[in-house]
Amino acid sequence: MSDAQTKVKVHVENVNKSYGDNHVLRDISLDVSENEVVVMIGPSGSGKSTFLRMLNQLETPDNGTIVVDGFDISDKATDINKVRENIGMVFQNFNLFNNYTVLENIMLAPVELGKLDKAAAEKKARELLATVGLSDKADVSVNSLSGGQKQRIAIARALAMSPDVMLFDEPTSALDPEMVGDVLNVMKNLADSGMTMIIVTHEMGFAKQVADRVVFFESGKIQESGTPEAVFNTPKNARLQEFLSKVMHA
Amino acid sequence: MKKIKKYVLIVAIVLLSFVGMGIEAHAADKPNYVITTDATYPPFDFQDKNNQYTGIDQEILKTIAKREGFTYTLKPMSFNSATQSVASDQADGVIAGMSITDERRAVFDFGTPYYRSGIGWAVKKGSNIKSLKDLKGKTVAIKTGTSGADYALSIQKQYGFKVVYFNDSDTLYNDVINDNSQATFGDLPVIQYAVKNGTALKVMNPKAPIQAGWYGFAVKKGKNAQLLAAFNKGFAAIKKDGTYDKIVAKYLGASAATFTGSKKDNNSTWGILKANRSAFLQGLWQTVLLTVFGIVLASLWGIILGVMGVSQNAVVRGISTTIIYIFRGLPLMVLAFFIYIGLPGVIGMKIPAVTAGILTLVLNEGAYTGAFVRGGFEAVDRGQMEAARSLGLPYSRAMRRVIMPQGIRIMIPSFINQFIITLKDTSILSAIGILELTQTGSLIVSRNSQGFRVWAIVAVIYLIVITLLTWLSNWVEKRSHA
Ligand SMILES: Nc1ncnc2c1ncn2[C@@H]1O[C@H](COP(=O)(O)OP(=O)(O)OP(=O)(O)O)[C@@H](O)[C@H]1O
Ligand SMILES: [Mg+2]
Repeated sequence: MSDAQTKVKVHVENVNKSYGDNHVLRDISLDVSENEVVVMIGPSGSGKSTFLRMLNQLETPDNGTIVVDGFDISDKATDINKVRENIGMVFQNFNLFNNYTVLENIMLAPVELGKLDKAAAEKKARELLATVGLSDKADVSVNSLSGGQKQRIAIARALAMSPDVMLFDEPTSALDPEMVGDVLNVMKNLADSGMTMIIVTHEMGFAKQVADRVVFFESGKIQESGTPEAVFNTPKNARLQEFLSKVMHA
Repeated sequence: MKKIKKYVLIVAIVLLSFVGMGIEAHAADKPNYVITTDATYPPFDFQDKNNQYTGIDQEILKTIAKREGFTYTLKPMSFNSATQSVASDQADGVIAGMSITDERRAVFDFGTPYYRSGIGWAVKKGSNIKSLKDLKGKTVAIKTGTSGADYALSIQKQYGFKVVYFNDSDTLYNDVINDNSQATFGDLPVIQYAVKNGTALKVMNPKAPIQAGWYGFAVKKGKNAQLLAAFNKGFAAIKKDGTYDKIVAKYLGASAATFTGSKKDNNSTWGILKANRSAFLQGLWQTVLLTVFGIVLASLWGIILGVMGVSQNAVVRGISTTIIYIFRGLPLMVLAFFIYIGLPGVIGMKIPAVTAGILTLVLNEGAYTGAFVRGGFEAVDRGQMEAARSLGLPYSRAMRRVIMPQGIRIMIPSFINQFIITLKDTSILSAIGILELTQTGSLIVSRNSQGFRVWAIVAVIYLIVITLLTWLSNWVEKRSHA
């Protein structure tokens, strides 16, 4: 592998995906380098979630190549579970494990997968809880948390596996407005620490602030991509212009 | 695949047989036979007030066994099960007031005919039915698989009556007494004996048995020749020395009071309970045994089916769906008969009634359990599985650590419900002759004719056990939350 390629964390090439007649992703190609923060925007139904979920194979592409962290996950011989250990994912609906306490949620995967022993996993879990500002919630049941707290725990849970790449699918969309800031803060700190991140969001202000690159999805295609300044201030694509005028004045 | 299935089946039956074995004692050196009989067919086969089997058949059999030096384990059950058990090699011989017919001769070898009987017909005492002609448009109660039933059917068109079937004589007589049906056809001595014992029926042809014929002791055709020879030899001897006549006279000559429980015991619920304490306890024990094994094994089997039902592998899912479909669709009693009477012929091995009963419960209740276990797993939010998988947990780990614990919590009410259904379903197993609580109730009623009190006692016992079971389940549920 060449030097340039090792820096590419996520490599997507000519990926297509259809649900029946619905051609959801059309010939998508995208590379994400190490430490890069990519924010994906676009109207509802444009295929953002489908694309993101394909990166850890929660969805399988019909064709094309997806290489994450050097593993070709479009190759059937690849052990997808091993690859997933290095890809953290945060969902719109948190999906915390209802049958465990906060601490157990964070410890489960590292202990189950033999990455850490119990004591080390607990130590790490408590550190992560401190990072997301929820140390006092270690032993409560997840159902007693607010949405914003849940999402921060979900981020801590993903980080417990020490992933190289973090995927976020509209992490603040299900939150009350006053909770959004706490979650975005945690994500901003994570970005500042050098994590490679791919984020689907409707928070344009946040996108401007943290994104190295903004990618605009529409009708299953990447219509435009560039720096936040370029995408938000001098959009070229007509659909992007239309989209921005809608969301900025909403 | 077929081979494996058959193998698994045999292993399961062998395992379950250990359960059955605890209940059957075997004598070592003398030949020991399994003899089936009708659980309630006085004066030939019935329980005395100490719950010992007695009657003309039983005394003949006991006397002959002693003379000829063989022992036997008696299996009282419904008449149909008694004969079919022998036909399907579950038992060696049957003595159950069984008429010798050409049809039966095709399946059984009969011993020396031991009693000349015939068909009688009876109506409710005080009924205005005078002759067969008056039966037009009326309903006639008959006992399944008896010569009386065959005869009634043969004249049904001619006299224009409807028929209703019963498995047990007491329920049948009560049906006539309660005016649900208007007449019955059955073996003459049996009806006469019932009338002597106070059953409010009137025999219409006491002196003229229809289609007079003989009762015989039977083994399966071509089998157990030694047992048959011993019976015949012994029978010839007791016929010669007068023992036989004494036995018959004892039952058909004596007054009724000799054989039923004492009056005092019958007149109060408490008296019935006291007089039949050991029978009730025995029945309760069998019911509890069936329930406990049924619940535990059906739950395990159901969980296996449920887990298979959410497998990633479509073939495994298909197998689970098919098994659930089949065993949920089969009525419990059909399944019990199939396993107890049908299966032994195919696998060439006896299945004790209790084992067959437990197997029936496991297959039937297990299918229901499998369905709600699968449903419980499917009811867990999809996001839980996705979150677990996204962390790198393999499917099976995600199932065990995340989905199943949540699914099981959803299923707990269904489990408790299924436990109660299992307990109640054990009563259906009385059909294959297991002497559980319901069958015990039938037998006691057949002796003392105190239907209301006995069934009330049985009902209360069931309710008590169900209450205890519910408490226990709820307690376990609470503990599992802590
Ligand atoms: N499992 C599925 N089966 C069938 N169609 C699907 C499935 N998942 C997504 N789709 C369809 O694919 C298209 C893209 O969906 P996707 O969720 O990727 O959009 P999105 O850009 O994330 O939208 P949103 O902003 O609303 O989350 C939509 O038309 C959707 O209906
Ligand atoms: Mg989406």
